[in-house]
Amino acid sequence: MKTSEFLKGLAVSVWTGTVHLFRHRMTSMYPETQNYPNTEMYAYDPKKGVAVSGWRGRHYLDMSKCTGCQLCFIACENIAEAIEMIPVPEAAHAQNKKSIYPGVDYGRCVFCGFCVDACPFYALYMTPVAEISEMNRNDLYYSPVELSVPPVPNPAPKVHVNFDKKRGSHDER
Amino acid sequence: MSANTESNPEMLAGVFQQEEAPEGRLKVSFGPQHPGSGHMRIILTVNGDIVEDAVPDVGYVHRGVEKMCEYKNYIQNIPHIERPAIHDSSGTIFPYILAVERLLDMTEKVPERAQYIRVIMAELNRMINHFYFFGILGIFMGHTTPITWGMGDRDYLIDVAASATGARVTFSYFVPGGVRTDLPYGFEDKLLKTCDYLESRIPAYKAYLEENPFARMRLTGVGVIKRSDAVALGLAGPTLRGSGVKSDVRKDEPYSLYDTLEFNIPTREEGDAMARMMVHFEEVKESLSIVRQAAKKLRPGPVKVPLRGQIRGKVGEAYARTEGARGMNSYYIISDGQIHPYRVRVNTGDSRNLAAMRPVLIGGKVADVPVAHWSLDYWPVASDR
Repeated sequence: MKTSEFLKGLAVSVWTGTVHLFRHRMTSMYPETQNYPNTEMYAYDPKKGVAVSGWRGRHYLDMSKCTGCQLCFIACENIAEAIEMIPVPEAAHAQNKKSIYPGVDYGRCVFCGFCVDACPFYALYMTPVAEISEMNRNDLYYSPVELSVPPVPNPAPKVHVNFDKKRGSHDER
Repeated sequence: MSANTESNPEMLAGVFQQEEAPEGRLKVSFGPQHPGSGHMRIILTVNGDIVEDAVPDVGYVHRGVEKMCEYKNYIQNIPHIERPAIHDSSGTIFPYILAVERLLDMTEKVPERAQYIRVIMAELNRMINHFYFFGILGIFMGHTTPITWGMGDRDYLIDVAASATGARVTFSYFVPGGVRTDLPYGFEDKLLKTCDYLESRIPAYKAYLEENPFARMRLTGVGVIKRSDAVALGLAGPTLRGSGVKSDVRKDEPYSLYDTLEFNIPTREEGDAMARMMVHFEEVKESLSIVRQAAKKLRPGPVKVPLRGQIRGKVGEAYARTEGARGMNSYYIISDGQIHPYRVRVNTGDSRNLAAMRPVLIGGKVADVPVAHWSLDYWPVASDR
């Protein structure tokens, strides 16, 4: 390599790094702000056979629609074995004669969403809340009653990436 | 050493303990805990700074994907098949889906919109993989800047893909019959803006990895594979194209409407780490162009042929191959009419690039081992399956 070539290459790379220092940057300050690309619920329309685009996070169970048919349990059987049918005698819904509802173990769930695709009665959804961390491993297990409560979204403002031709990427609230 | 292994020397794991290093040489175990080797070990016999022998010791992350496929049904196979190749989850699942569609006789029925969405997702995954490649290549050379840039820019692509699929890495987005969801509102706008942004970033990467004299010194002439050797070893993907062989499944055997899009196959003649990195560069540019063309051709319409009940493949066999980010991925499925396949054979480009590891490392310096190893595009998890 010639000396002139060496110096030119060095100058170009150092200049590129220096220019980058002054570019506008997009840093998501995570607990204070959140960057969720999709804030919708993942839902499946069994009549059309197509799902509605959304973030695949924690489940939401509509107990007034669940018939206890166990199709979500069968779908999960060989994937993660995370869903278990739990009897909930105090929940008296006419359509669910055996009173069994799915409970999800988030220590096992892989968030593939095929349980939602299996539900023919619009009872199971996936919500954009994916912050499931507990101090105790047993707390990762969510009973049907816990799943039927809509999750409280993180109050932190949602950040979306926006691009500017000159300034590069920056966040937009 | 326990009593059991003492009485049975064959039971000692690996080649490392079995043979003593020759006189004046040193045996070095590169991995499996080394952050760079990535769940594999290379047993190096070094003479001073020169590598005299390099034996890859693989299999640390073997999980039996092929056997697992035999007792899960066709849909349940999707989440676990794409897990080994997390940077290329769409590219890994693509040939499986094509093969299953051939078993179901519905290759022709897949809607046009779904096919273009698949192309977009596969190319997004290719770019996600390549930006990760630049980052790790930079950190293996001792440069910290490329990894921060590579990981940061890769995240914008992940954001775009995640807005449609609902997951960041393992999308589980392709299903037999189409794709799972339609694109959300504003997806195309977001996609094109991200493409414009990444195009503006390419000169910066070029300055840092191609024109930077220190990167050039570390990459040029390292891990040279001649054209004839590349063909003889049966390499795949950017490693093969870096040695001057113009081979790409997207052109050679077009699948999923790739024949309606215009793109080039970048090749380099030199066959060293620099050439392979430049092939990755050119492929990112080509992928950006493919994504733009495919986004232009998207027309409203159905994205899936709904399949009711359990899928049962017809009795027979199906083979499909696609060009993944790290080489040709192919699936060979035998079905006996049950709800689960009888046998699934997975062949990824990664496992074929492993063949070049030994010839490439022998004769090089110890400091060049990480660069040569990473530039081969070998990902142990996808290779071990």
